[in-house]
Amino acid sequence: MIAEEALVKELKQKDSQAKAFEVLVNTYKERLYWHIRRIVLNHDDADDVLQNTFIKVYKNIEGFKGDSKLYSWMYRIATNEALTFLKQKSKKTEISDQELKTAMVENLQSDVYFEGDEIQMKLQQALAILPEKQKLVFNMKYFQEMKYDEISEVLETSVGGLKASYHLAVKKIEAYLKSD
Amino acid sequence: MKKNHKNKFKTPEGYFDSFNERLMEKIAKEESIIPKADGFGVPDDYFKNLNDNIISKLDEKEPKVIPLKSYKKFYYIAASIAAIAILTLAINWNDQPQLGFEDLASAEIDAYFDTTDMKLSSYEIAEVVSIDELELNDVLENSLEDEHILEYLDENINDIEELDLENEYYE
Repeated sequence: MIAEEALVKELKQKDSQAKAFEVLVNTYKERLYWHIRRIVLNHDDADDVLQNTFIKVYKNIEGFKGDSKLYSWMYRIATNEALTFLKQKSKKTEISDQELKTAMVENLQSDVYFEGDEIQMKLQQALAILPEKQKLVFNMKYFQEMKYDEISEVLETSVGGLKASYHLAVKKIEAYLKSD
Repeated sequence: MKKNHKNKFKTPEGYFDSFNERLMEKIAKEESIIPKADGFGVPDDYFKNLNDNIISKLDEKEPKVIPLKSYKKFYYIAASIAAIAILTLAINWNDQPQLGFEDLASAEIDAYFDTTDMKLSSYEIAEVVSIDELELNDVLENSLEDEHILEYLDENINDIEELDLENEYYE
């Protein structure tokens, strides 16, 4: 994409860096926020991770070679930041990853920025017990409506593998929602 | 079928190729019991203020990390300095050049004689310094000129007769 190439070029030049960075944040802030939020669930945590993601992008833009698209590079950084954040959180609280995910879903009940009903809460419970990859693919496909090609670039997995993961995720979630 | 030459509209590349797949997904989604929204919300104006928050965070200087056991660092530095000093001394120990009398500056020698009591008697000095080479002016601080002698005699001798000029020694 020519516009993206031009933006990267401007981001690497000192005189145009600030303005280009503003454009970058405005273009991607919402998409990246929702991607991160669906991993960490809590708004304040999502905000922290999102800001760190943009700061990392800003500081490492010199290292961006353009082998992949800018947005997929940023999605990768956001995904890694969010997953690392969860790992650190489980280490700090000295509980397992799975215990943390269950606790995170339970905390949603008192979260002022979660307005989900019973079925939406059940969906989060179902997502919490999915393998990480299946959960990521499901959220990116179902809620963010990303194409398999785009997801493939971010997660560096074949499109065929992604389709299988998504299919499995949908089946598991449906089964969970149908159960009592 | 007659081609529609008047159609100026275009579609994105590959639109019809992926149409079926997208349609099936949409139908599956419509039929699914999985909710279409997940119920998450954000504070008012969150995205509006996000840019400023990120920019202010970028401007923040990274805090300096002070290690809890900082004294350990000083132990390592002190040990390193000591090791370097010992190593340098060991290497240079045998390389010290032998100092000779010539290496002493004459000012140092003068200073030594001025401040040190030599405890040498006149005889001992006479043994070292040959009297033949010695002149009166060598032992006087101010050189004795003829005019000084005449001046002295003029002031201190009243009668020229007092001078034993008859002494054959002076003849």
